[in-house]
Amino acid sequence: MQQYIIRRMLLNGVVLLLVATMVFAALRVDSNQVVNRFAAGCFHQGEDTQQCKDVAKNLLGLDESIPKQYVDFMKNTLTLDFGKTFSEKKPVLHEITSRAAPSIELGLLQIVVALLVGVPVGVISAIRQDKWIDYILRFVAIFFLGIPVFIIAVFVILLTTRYAGGTGLDQWLGPGSDWKDIWEDPVKNLQRVTGPALVGGLGTGAVLMRFLRSQMLEVMRQDYVRTAWAKGLRERVVIVRHALKNAMIPVLTVIGLLLGAVISGNVILETQYNIPGIGFFVTSAALQGDFPVIQGIVLVVAVMLVFINLLVDIAYGWLDPRIRYS
Amino acid sequence: MAQEQAIPSIGPAAPEFALPHRPGVLRNVLKFIRRKPLGALGFFFVLFMIAMTLGTPKAEFGVPELPHSPLGFKLGQPWLAPYGEEQNFKNANGRLNTDAAPSTKHWLGTDGSGRDNWTRVVWGARRSMFIGLWALALATAIGTVIGVISGYFRGWFDTAVQRLLDALQSFPPLLTLILILSITPFTSQPSLLVVAFALGFVGIPQVQRIVRGVVLSTREQQYVEAARVIGATDTRTMSFYILPNIMASVIVVFSTGLGVVILAEAALAFIVPQFVPQEGASWGLDLGRAQREGVDTHTWPVIAYAGAIALAVLGFNLAGDALRDVLDPRLRVG
Repeated sequence: MQQYIIRRMLLNGVVLLLVATMVFAALRVDSNQVVNRFAAGCFHQGEDTQQCKDVAKNLLGLDESIPKQYVDFMKNTLTLDFGKTFSEKKPVLHEITSRAAPSIELGLLQIVVALLVGVPVGVISAIRQDKWIDYILRFVAIFFLGIPVFIIAVFVILLTTRYAGGTGLDQWLGPGSDWKDIWEDPVKNLQRVTGPALVGGLGTGAVLMRFLRSQMLEVMRQDYVRTAWAKGLRERVVIVRHALKNAMIPVLTVIGLLLGAVISGNVILETQYNIPGIGFFVTSAALQGDFPVIQGIVLVVAVMLVFINLLVDIAYGWLDPRIRYS
Repeated sequence: MAQEQAIPSIGPAAPEFALPHRPGVLRNVLKFIRRKPLGALGFFFVLFMIAMTLGTPKAEFGVPELPHSPLGFKLGQPWLAPYGEEQNFKNANGRLNTDAAPSTKHWLGTDGSGRDNWTRVVWGARRSMFIGLWALALATAIGTVIGVISGYFRGWFDTAVQRLLDALQSFPPLLTLILILSITPFTSQPSLLVVAFALGFVGIPQVQRIVRGVVLSTREQQYVEAARVIGATDTRTMSFYILPNIMASVIVVFSTGLGVVILAEAALAFIVPQFVPQEGASWGLDLGRAQREGVDTHTWPVIAYAGAIALAVLGFNLAGDALRDVLDPRLRVG
């Protein structure tokens, strides 16, 4: 186990190195392009374009030779120094971490909603296979799987702001204006995140439900489940203790894989619901041509994803001792 | 026909071939509808979307250019579009007829600039569809080549490629897209072809992963072994023995991927409108514009564009699932 973790860490290191190199190369393909796009923004604000270009080049370290740039870039990335933003010349890492709280909250809430909805629905749909309730649940799941989350969000926003004004529903599900962190004003904060958390969570929950259903169907046909039935255990005990516990193990890996999708989805949902998180930050940076921010967020997300996947793998082996890490 | 039947046959009667009953196309279609009603519904949406893109071709040839000249010749106004792309309508007062409810003249109402929503949806379909086709053409071409080579040779090359693409694939696609488009050269806005290629690039890992999986099982087949025995080179084995036999999977990947790419384009245009061309009708752009300007006033455009995206993506998903079950059950997951 220890050996496995060490080897995975090394492999992850290589992957991160590759990602960092790709990001490094990406900028150097045509760096004038990035600089010019930022300078165009300067021009609109009436600042000196040439000065802007010099500042941007300096911030990206483009004055040096390529090998020196590469060494510097890697050194900075290792020490989590992602440079300074174009627009306000503040450290990128600080700008990202100061916006992390809403994103993490939204992501976690989505996973919670997905589990709360996906697990019971998946179980019910599996133990009542081919009954009418199974068909209804599966149809709803196909609906949520097939229709993109941001379209569902658009419809929810439309219905709540146009047709549910004054009922309180619009405050809970519609996009609000000002953001309060959860430790400042829990009620107001929850009002803001309920909508996106529900919409995004249901989208993720549909994937979870479909996967859990097929896992449950497989587990329910195992010998030990038949034994449990034969012993005369109550249905609840058989389903929850014997079947669900074992069916959940592969589902765990899906949750790990879904995190990438959750982050991607949050970029859209945060923009739609005006939540000042990392997703909102990256889209506004894209609009302003603020390349250091995009680069920094890409690297941070890569590091996060690699470690989350490692954690999922370890948890997987811990839950299912049959898996050998050789 | 009648005359042919009238000619009397001379000599011994022609032997009657006891052909097994071959069901006609119509019967096959009916069978498919009965077996996979949701898949048939999906195909209906997809065919309808294809129909929306069609228009009378003009004799203007040149370099392919999206959206109105996707194959090198220019397509005219879509047959299903009653009005022009940018045509504004005025009401009786002489003002722009903005945000009107559906009527017989405007089937889905009008948008914030007094343009007909149904017309915009039809014009936008062409843009979505051909961006999707171009992107998928790139993704499937490169993804298939990488997948076949990687799955055929295995070994260190396979391991290296797979690790690299795993890293790419677990990455949020939208972030990759934003990164790519923020370094691609364009002055004020990229051309649609650039957007399509960026989308295709993001799709390569998924395509190659599926293709590689199929190649891994195909390469162990006896006919591949036989090809090697008679001395076929690796290139020959890959292109004449393996490639034709994985075509069903490639087609399935193509059709399911199309929905994903169309959605990705709409999402990109929706949240970062600066990264796609501003001219012309586009579902994602128009939806984003309408939502930013307020859903309560722009109810009908929001419903029209969001509905178009939802039905198109749903259609591609359902059709792709059904196609996969029919053509290649190996790919079924969950």
